[in-house]
Amino acid sequence: MNAPSTPPSIAELQHQFQTTLDAARTPADLKALRDQFLSRKHGLVTALVKSIATASSEEKRTLGAGANTLKQQIEAALDARDVEVLAAAPPKDALDATLPGRRPRLGRRHPLTQVRERVEDIFLAMGYQVIEGPELEDDWHNFEALNMPAEHPARDMQDTLYLSAPVAVPDGGRAATLLRTHTSGMQIRYMEQHDPPVRIIAPGRVYRRDNFDATHTPMFTQIEGLVVDEGISLGDLRGTLNGFAEQFFGSRVATRFRPSFFPYTEPSAELDVECQGCGGTGCPLCKHTGWIEILGCGMVHPAVFEAVGYDADRYTGFAFGAGIERLALRLYGVDDIRTFYENDLRFLEQVAL
Amino acid sequence: MKVPVSWLRECADLPGSATVADIAARMAGVGFEVAAIDGEVIDFEITANRPDCLSVRGLAREAATAYAVQGARGPEVQGARSPEVQGAVPVTIESPLCGRYALALADVTVGPSPGWLADRLTACGIRPINTIVDITNYVLIEMGHPMHAFDGARLAGPAIVVRQARAGERLTTLDGQARVLDASMLVIADRDDAVAIAGVMGGAASEVSPTTTRIALESAWFQPATVRATSKRLGLKTEASTRFERGADINAAVAAIERALSLLEQIGAGQRAGGTTDVYPAPVAPTVVPLRPDRLARLLGDQVPAADVERILGSLGFTVARDDHGWQVTVPTARVDVAREADLIEEVGRHWGVNRVPATFPSLRSTPRPSDAGVMRARRLRRLLCGAGLQEAVTFTFMEHAAAAPFVTDPATLVRIANPLSEKFAVLRPSLIPGLLDSLIYNRRRGLDDVRLFEAGAVFSLSGEGQRVGWVLCGARDVHWSVRAESVDLFDALGIAEVAADAWGLTLATQPADDTPWFVQGRSAALLREAARGQPPTRVGTAGQLPADLTHARGLPAGVVVVAGELDLAAFAGDGTAPRRVSPLPRFPSVVRDLSLLVDVRLQAASVRATIRQRAPATLVGVREFDRYQGKGVPDGQVSLSVRLTFRDTGRTLTDTEVDQAIGAIVTALQMDHGAVVRRRSIED
Repeated sequence: MNAPSTPPSIAELQHQFQTTLDAARTPADLKALRDQFLSRKHGLVTALVKSIATASSEEKRTLGAGANTLKQQIEAALDARDVEVLAAAPPKDALDATLPGRRPRLGRRHPLTQVRERVEDIFLAMGYQVIEGPELEDDWHNFEALNMPAEHPARDMQDTLYLSAPVAVPDGGRAATLLRTHTSGMQIRYMEQHDPPVRIIAPGRVYRRDNFDATHTPMFTQIEGLVVDEGISLGDLRGTLNGFAEQFFGSRVATRFRPSFFPYTEPSAELDVECQGCGGTGCPLCKHTGWIEILGCGMVHPAVFEAVGYDADRYTGFAFGAGIERLALRLYGVDDIRTFYENDLRFLEQVAL
Repeated sequence: MKVPVSWLRECADLPGSATVADIAARMAGVGFEVAAIDGEVIDFEITANRPDCLSVRGLAREAATAYAVQGARGPEVQGARSPEVQGAVPVTIESPLCGRYALALADVTVGPSPGWLADRLTACGIRPINTIVDITNYVLIEMGHPMHAFDGARLAGPAIVVRQARAGERLTTLDGQARVLDASMLVIADRDDAVAIAGVMGGAASEVSPTTTRIALESAWFQPATVRATSKRLGLKTEASTRFERGADINAAVAAIERALSLLEQIGAGQRAGGTTDVYPAPVAPTVVPLRPDRLARLLGDQVPAADVERILGSLGFTVARDDHGWQVTVPTARVDVAREADLIEEVGRHWGVNRVPATFPSLRSTPRPSDAGVMRARRLRRLLCGAGLQEAVTFTFMEHAAAAPFVTDPATLVRIANPLSEKFAVLRPSLIPGLLDSLIYNRRRGLDDVRLFEAGAVFSLSGEGQRVGWVLCGARDVHWSVRAESVDLFDALGIAEVAADAWGLTLATQPADDTPWFVQGRSAALLREAARGQPPTRVGTAGQLPADLTHARGLPAGVVVVAGELDLAAFAGDGTAPRRVSPLPRFPSVVRDLSLLVDVRLQAASVRATIRQRAPATLVGVREFDRYQGKGVPDGQVSLSVRLTFRDTGRTLTDTEVDQAIGAIVTALQMDHGAVVRRRSIED
């Protein structure tokens, strides 16, 4: 096509566009129209703008302004019409919305982590700080300072795994000789470094030379708690742990304390909660007692305070230690503790995200 | 400890209406957990601090106190004073580890015990043997004091010596085992040989037999630690050793003999022959422990009336005397667990009722200290990686040697357990990857194809423990009906590290790793953390593909690509929540240019990036590879690498000319340094 010697006027173009626009019905029509008027190479408006270059400077101003306005009008009209046409005509190739969506992958925290954090969160809200410490321990922190000197019969309660050779510790302290049998050593480590008041929980892995069966694993997770201040009483221990049980298991759970023995607490007790399986009437889960033991606790033994240089006459405190697996078994209704260590995705993917 | 309730009732006036279950529950409430109930027999779990309750008498005291009734009738225990009796057998104690040794002779007829005696022992889980052995066992159960009967005719007279064993000394014990002793062990010896291991078990040679006519009845006290050590070393735990190692009542020794001799006469199985020898060099007197009412109230958080304190302690066998400050409490020598005030407070608390103490909440008197950064860091990291599509796993800290060894360059650096339960748990993990790999394979073998696991936790070497996060991936990168499944590769493993680093505001660089034999060569990377200006980057982890022979050895079929990575958490200072300063948003537009380069296939992208950065003006704010192509149109040995460069100035709009000049200089440098050829350059319009 030959370019006309005289391009159509602005008014002519405007008229021509309006006529064609009225006839445009489909997205293809609209695209062709956009090309016809606005293409960079052969658009009618483009040609008009180019032709202005040869005009006189007076004409340039009027023509330039007019052409620009026309261009904007055409663009706006085409945009508006695009939307109308698209909105009026849904796409022909409808997608099968019953097919699964493109789902971002999400993993889940391990049930033991979820229980551990649930416990941590309850105590964080009570003003505790969460601390952690080494899994390889020395005899002092694991036993001696906890009122369990060598050949103390209570050492039998925790059959210990020893290292073949001592392993160095970063701070130049005593070399580690064993795998910690409980998190109670963290009481000592913390009190050696800090003055009262103390309000900590210390979660972590612990190790015992136990069989590997449905109720025992040689590795499990404990969470230790310690509160030391002036005037801390057994009543404070009861109130704190009752509060914990209510938040962990739900507000109506019944609890009871039973006197027990730990070398590092005096008096010592165990906390039972009403069996969730039977509601306290007795079932195989609770060995027909109606109660499930969930943790050991007691008032810090004065010998422990003496070992860390606290004034045992001025300060009193309570400590407790719970097994995360034991809590998790109850919470998830799992009956074999090994389930937590198999990492079977069919199990792990059942817990909450 | 199995006890028939009828026997308990003999020793304490328990209410007639109390059922076996009631009594069991009441006892559990004062600290004697019940393992099982079988008819009228209650099996109590006795905690290690209460050897006195490894007896009917001790439990009866507790039951009587729990029911606030009269109780603890039975044979009287003599005080600390040693009765002045001379026996026929001279006894010498050569070791301070024996605190007391008493011996009496009796003429006996050995036969089956009467039914009531045999039945009681059976109910308590002890097999009746003959009159003599049964009587010592009966006294053991009744009073908690272990005794031993020798066949008097089989002891080489005339004296008994308590001494250290000689190194290598041999003794065949009652269970028929030949034992080799060492000098740390205490033995009872006659003129010639050791005849018993003190407090643990007697010798077979002097065992009471049906033909025995004279017995020597031993009742002694040995230091708990030595009995425990010997019992552990020999792997021999007996009813006697269990009581001695926890602490027997040194003042009950002679009373036990007297009780045994009286039973002997009662059942017509014999009578004493002469007096009782009692060597008791340093008699132990009961201790006196003060108890202050205010301390009691403060520790329990409850006011226990004085009358209840006195009733409870008195009923438990303590002698309570009031003084100006409270009470002076005399502790019977059977109560080896009571040494200080807190112990007495526990006694009161147990029987007053822990559940009666009002529940209170300790007040906060100071601002809580912040939690350890490591704990909070691990929390954040776990959530981050779950969000990145990895499932958290928890694997064992210990593993078999074969699983761990491939993940260290020198197996001698593995930390070994001296007494592992089995070879499956023999060494501590040097890396998180082997445990995760086993878990991955566990899932593959159960038909789960796409497995992505991570774990955060401790790893161990001879130089100590460290915290890491590790991950393993296999299967399809994207699982959706709309895409063809493609296996994960090295870059999936790298991406995890990048996300983790990004969350902490760290920049990671990678370089090929040549010291990680547990990864496929050419499919591995060392992860480096950019250090402070002027410092070399520090290595904080590795990532790569695991070799087929390694994965196959752990049970994975060939043909499954497993990639893994690990980061040292020490590199991640703080918990990652520290506020970071932000840069103001750009006020001027940026200019983007794409370059497609033909370079040697061995040239690392990092080198190209470095050259670009070096030659570009400060207005270069970003370099990103967006395509890497080999194949049609690219000569052999070469690769087409496309990079996108972004330029921006903080103070003005850049002109095309100056960006073109910068690109020109970069292209020249790439040609000079790497022989790169520009295939295409794009110009944004």
